Amino acid sequence: MKIKITSIIVLIILAIVSLIYLFPIYWTLVTALKNSLQIFTYPPIFFPTKITLSNFYTPGNVFGAVSQTAVGSIPWMIDSTIVAIIATLLSTILIAAPAAYSLVRYIKSIWFGRLILFMTMIPEAVFVVPFFLIVAKINLLNTWWGLIIVYISFTAPFATWLLMGFFNDIPKSVEEAAQIDGLSPFQIFYKISLRLVTPGIIAALVLNFISCWNELLYALVITYSPFPSGAQTVPIFLTSFIIVEKSFAWGGLAAAGIFTMLPTIILGIFAQKYLARGLTMGAVKG
Amino acid sequence: MRMNRKYKIGLLFALPIIIYFLIFFLYPLVSLVQNAFTNSAGTFTLANFNYMLRDRILKISLENTAYYFFGSVALQYSVGFWVALILYNYTGRLTSVFRTIILLPLMISPVVIGLMWMLLYNVNYGSIDYLIRIIGLPPVNWLGNMSIALISLIIANTWEYSPFAFLIIYAGLQMVPQQLYEAASVDGLSRFQVFRYITIPSIRASMIVAFLLNSIGVLKGFDLVYVLTNGGPGYSTYILSFYEYVVAFSYFEKNYASAIAILYLLIIGAFVFVMLKFTAVEEYLGLRKIKE
Repeated sequence: MKIKITSIIVLIILAIVSLIYLFPIYWTLVTALKNSLQIFTYPPIFFPTKITLSNFYTPGNVFGAVSQTAVGSIPWMIDSTIVAIIATLLSTILIAAPAAYSLVRYIKSIWFGRLILFMTMIPEAVFVVPFFLIVAKINLLNTWWGLIIVYISFTAPFATWLLMGFFNDIPKSVEEAAQIDGLSPFQIFYKISLRLVTPGIIAALVLNFISCWNELLYALVITYSPFPSGAQTVPIFLTSFIIVEKSFAWGGLAAAGIFTMLPTIILGIFAQKYLARGLTMGAVKG
Repeated sequence: MRMNRKYKIGLLFALPIIIYFLIFFLYPLVSLVQNAFTNSAGTFTLANFNYMLRDRILKISLENTAYYFFGSVALQYSVGFWVALILYNYTGRLTSVFRTIILLPLMISPVVIGLMWMLLYNVNYGSIDYLIRIIGLPPVNWLGNMSIALISLIIANTWEYSPFAFLIIYAGLQMVPQQLYEAASVDGLSRFQVFRYITIPSIRASMIVAFLLNSIGVLKGFDLVYVLTNGGPGYSTYILSFYEYVVAFSYFEKNYASAIAILYLLIIGAFVFVMLKFTAVEEYLGLRKIKE
């Protein structure tokens, strides 16, 4: 009897906890689905009976200037996707995979490992000035490539760190057998070891994709123009939308938030089993 | 001779990341030092560091960063810890549903999270104040009150990152061998004794890793401040990353901003150093395995 009561209490607490984690998302969703009369009312409406999708495509009107809409964010989403895919692929395949392999199998230097660990912990704000200066110097401000280069700064060490754990898990006997068969070190790397860490590669790609997609500070300074520059990503779209519409088109803002968070939420739920190992820098074996 | 060849192959594999270090670590580091020790005309000076000592806003930003750091880490960590413990003690069928719900904030962009909390915190039409008024408390100006804005940021930050501590500690709990609990019940340990002498020591590694990564996450923070308060009202939510950004890209003082960046890097470095020196975090993260 006592056990039953405790398990009911646990269930109730978990339900409340879930409610707390869900509520901000729920509140944004219902705000996106209300018309402005329903939004600006007191007491607030928690369960709207009449819902509308117009917030997703109807621009707000601020002092006669037509504002953005959620659906209008699609060009920014395309920029985000292209930048994130290229930066993620380049850093994971070209830099991180061979580096992690070398570190685990050849160089075996703890100091090298520490340096990579430290690189993943440096805040973006620390190097933002030098990165801005160099991107300006090579004339890549407001371009995809400007952002891609800077994003490699944080995607490469993260992927290296993550892959080190995966390479470590490969039994050495597999590689020794391949060596006896006469494969060169490079053949062993890319024909055998690289294939064996496919789950790690996927985890690194997915997590780096999400962090590039969501990155704000570098995007802010590299693509700083007040007008769409052809390289601005979703966080820039959202922040400029928020600055303009802060006190007005809440429905539109909420709709934009919901609309733009869908890709990463879907990706995140799909890749949930990699999330644990990746986010915890390999401390959790997924 | 053989060793030598092996090392050469290793260097070849590591060549891309060595180039990476030159571009993304050495170059910016040299550039920071160079900028921090010169004025805008390029002549050597210590003025940037001298100014730091009298910069009132820097002092405020450092204090805010300290409050933000201790408040956020303490809250995130304890929330994550208890939620993990509660979910671990739940034996029903909904485990994976609860887990997915709790992890949702980690999949949402910080900018969108800022947007969400902006809607929640609104004084007149937000839902948090409505709930507060139902209990009978006066409405709170969450983002417009100088003494409350930083607390509001900490709350939003806790919602955003407590799932992180939860994730690590929950995984640690799942790896505790069941035999330990069985042995404890044979020995007739009380619930508290089991918690104190079995659970806690078994998840020590997860607890330390969670603390390190949560702390680094908070120290890196920028997005929430930028979206929710933009440093205001006044300077009440200026934190180090935000102040550096303002100095560099609103005042266009790249030299002084570089000096602040060096201070920032030293703070992070000191924190990581202390963690590596006084805890076994390297081992928990698998760094020692490299040598094997």
